[in-house]
Amino acid sequence: MFEYALSVMIFLPILSGLVLLLSPVSKGAARLVGFLVSVVILLLGVEIFLGFTGTGGMEYVQNRPWVESLGISYGLGVDGISLLVLMAATVLFPMVFSVLKTQSKGYYANLLITQGAMIGAICATDLVLFYIFWEIMLLPIFFMIGLYGGENRLSATLKITIYTIAGSLLMLAALIYVGVSYHAQFGKWTFDIVQLAALDLSGGWAILAFIMFMIAFAIKTPLFPFHTWLPDAYTEAPTAATFVLSAIMAKIGVYGVIRFVVPVFEIEFARFAILLSLAGVTGMIYCGLAAISQKDMKRMLAFSSASHMGIIALGVFCMNVQALTGTLFQIAAHATSTGVLFLFVGLMEERMKTRDIDDLGGIAYKAPIFATFFAITMLASVGLPGTSGFIGEFLIILGAIKFNAFIGVLAGTALVIGVCYMLWMFQRVFFEKSNARTVEFQDLSTSELLTFLPVILLIVAMGIFPQAFIKKIEPAAQQQVAKVFAMTQAQVADTKVPNPGHNNHKN
Amino acid sequence: MHDFMSLLPLIIIGSGAILLMLLAAFEKIEVELAAYISMAIFGIGFVVQLLVGCGDQTVLFEKVFNGMLVSSNFTMIAGLIILGCGFFTAMCSHTYFKINQFCTLEFYSMMLFGACGMLLLSLSQELITAFIALEIMSLAIYILVGYDRTNVTSTEAILKYLMLGAFAGAFFTMGTALIYGGAASTKFADISTSIVDGSASHALMIGGAFLLFVALLFKVAAIPFHAWVIDVYEGAPTPVTGFMATALKTAVFAVFANFLALNDSLHGDWVTFLFYISVFTMFGGNLIAIGQNNLKRMLAASGIVHSGYLLIALVAISAEHFTGSVIGYYLAAYAVGTMGMFAALSYLGGKGEERMNFDDFKGLAKVRPYSAAAIAVFLLSMAGIPPTAGFMAKFYVITSAITAGHMALAVLGVVSSILSMWYYLRLIINMYFHDSEETFETSGSPLASAATFVLVFCVFAIGIYPIVI
Repeated sequence: MFEYALSVMIFLPILSGLVLLLSPVSKGAARLVGFLVSVVILLLGVEIFLGFTGTGGMEYVQNRPWVESLGISYGLGVDGISLLVLMAATVLFPMVFSVLKTQSKGYYANLLITQGAMIGAICATDLVLFYIFWEIMLLPIFFMIGLYGGENRLSATLKITIYTIAGSLLMLAALIYVGVSYHAQFGKWTFDIVQLAALDLSGGWAILAFIMFMIAFAIKTPLFPFHTWLPDAYTEAPTAATFVLSAIMAKIGVYGVIRFVVPVFEIEFARFAILLSLAGVTGMIYCGLAAISQKDMKRMLAFSSASHMGIIALGVFCMNVQALTGTLFQIAAHATSTGVLFLFVGLMEERMKTRDIDDLGGIAYKAPIFATFFAITMLASVGLPGTSGFIGEFLIILGAIKFNAFIGVLAGTALVIGVCYMLWMFQRVFFEKSNARTVEFQDLSTSELLTFLPVILLIVAMGIFPQAFIKKIEPAAQQQVAKVFAMTQAQVADTKVPNPGHNNHKN
Repeated sequence: MHDFMSLLPLIIIGSGAILLMLLAAFEKIEVELAAYISMAIFGIGFVVQLLVGCGDQTVLFEKVFNGMLVSSNFTMIAGLIILGCGFFTAMCSHTYFKINQFCTLEFYSMMLFGACGMLLLSLSQELITAFIALEIMSLAIYILVGYDRTNVTSTEAILKYLMLGAFAGAFFTMGTALIYGGAASTKFADISTSIVDGSASHALMIGGAFLLFVALLFKVAAIPFHAWVIDVYEGAPTPVTGFMATALKTAVFAVFANFLALNDSLHGDWVTFLFYISVFTMFGGNLIAIGQNNLKRMLAASGIVHSGYLLIALVAISAEHFTGSVIGYYLAAYAVGTMGMFAALSYLGGKGEERMNFDDFKGLAKVRPYSAAAIAVFLLSMAGIPPTAGFMAKFYVITSAITAGHMALAVLGVVSSILSMWYYLRLIINMYFHDSEETFETSGSPLASAATFVLVFCVFAIGIYPIVI
């Protein structure tokens, strides 16, 4: 019965989004449809999570040839690497439809389309299919920012669109290069990622193709120094678009590196790992410092999100099981915490018509429940033990130290910056004196409370029982790392934490 | 029998053209009816072409025509594109000439003659035949471009096109003469043979092929032979511009590819030349397009850019396994997108083409959401965003370039399509993210809108089921 679950999860939202766009329904009906569809997707997602055996291979596989002359197929599947990203894309959406009540029909329709496309990008096992969904998922965001965004939405829209499309098109050339190289080496066409891993690439063009892939993913993530579109886009975008961008789309950038770049370009990846991880750490520190000085809450969260993406990306570049598992876990953890924080800011903006930190204060006295929820989410984002954020960051730092002590120490220290801006913002917004504006702040209504409660519980649960999640992703992470270093799984599993300064990469 | 069937579409279109010419002489019918008749002729031609299908390379009536005409899968695809474009152009013209009343019966007859020349051009494998076909096509198009005799821009357009086109024709004849001098034949197959056995004079072949390429590059508006295209596209009536941009380009690229594919050593000699032409065409076209304010001018410039991509495909063809599938697919994808844009402009342009600038389309999405969505789909297809036909076309072109070892060309092509995002997005932004100042009232018949939406369907159908490849 669940054979076609992935296809349903992709095309149900896309089709219902298109139907909504083309038919004259009211915005209430559109929201209801969106909510119902996203709940169906959620249930399917939970079913997939529970049914997932975690043996390391692809599950729920679907494979159908599409363009046979070029070996392009409609291939879908989930493994430990994509499982938690997929969860992030399915679990959080009903919340968005439930919280944002006053938007127009196109808003909800675009949201549905982008969800379907993102799930498609996450589940695709064919490089071309992945690329197609990767491009489609940007279009609704383009329209959402342009139509429903803030004052400077036009420049923000153009910036994000041209930036990301530039990256994607470079990736297109690179992925075709990969396909053609496979054809040259093995005499047949395929874009299936499992088979492409057998490729042996070398030479100048391979490095160029690798860089083109990395630029595409670095822009989407965004990784320093390709982050300049982010503050504008995140700030100007309507709440749901910011949520989608930060909670899920950014993760697909990191996921793309793990899924498509590492297996194909092992040598190039290992060669550039130090440089890339330095870029990750730099982004982390730079965006963290920038976040401290922001006056606008949403902009501050935008920078904070970029800063966190730096550490998530760092986990990929360290190339060991701990860091990779940490990254995969942190992808889900960060989606829950940052995504919800953006929704909270959206709520505050709706109620008080401002996001300026200086205009706010004393909200905690008026809205204790909201403040508690906000605090839990924020602490998860900072990485407090007992919340979801801790496990991932801990594993990543562990792996980073194993990879290169300098980078590990730098990343570990830089985490403090996150605590600075978050707690300082929390103090200024929720404590201190309340003013005329915040005195009238309404606490969460019952329906909002019920909407957010499951996610808050999830954040805590992921912090306390991480093993339930980690045991599903670890085999895949081990396989991935093992493939890169052509070691047996047993050796990787037995790897002890090495001496400080031990350099794990091969070049 | 098969030979006759392969020629049947050409015969249908040719006799249709003569029939309409006669009807025009007797002045018995209305202009509208003529539009329906030409739609029917194009439609029948299309269906016949589709039903005939085609196998491998066949020389048609070898004894009678002495090997002048050769049909293949590639020519069949080119024929389908030309006939389809003719059909949609007739639909758009019906609407367009309800709004702008300067049409006479000869218009549709000329269009059929033009299509006749194009079909012949795509089939021809002999230089004199190609020249005759080229001239049949060009003469008809000259007249169509300047159809609105009272319009100054139209008159300017026809003058420019005629003068430069005549030069191009002259170059073509000169090239033919030199090649005949060098290879002692004008048939593609014989030229190839004499190149292989070394009897062809190298100097004359180089000179002749160069002049031929100049003429063909002029017709497809490759830089540096592009100067006419912007003004001509602007001056011509919108449906005619659409017809020129799609069908004409298809026919010329068909004969271009057939000529280049005749011999590997000929192709090898010209790869570097075509490489640079294609790079200049893509980047120059983009720079021109970015500066335009008028939509027709922008589409003309974007047509230059697409010629650049097609030249990439020409650089990458291999004479030994030439199927033309990449070029055919790209032409089809480009044709549906461009034709769709011009179909939409035919009915949205209004009387005297008053709405033709980017700013005139501000807020279209608020007033006419379906039309705006259709235009957005065409623009995204031209920009190469999946899952449209334009994406698959770009994918195949880049694949063919990399397979042929032209990685640099592939990367440059990609960079050029990043540049082109700007002017495609600009129109989408104008349509969607601005408030409307006008009501976009349109008059005329619903045929052009129908054509637009059928073409939207085609954009997705061709993109999702790429059967040609």
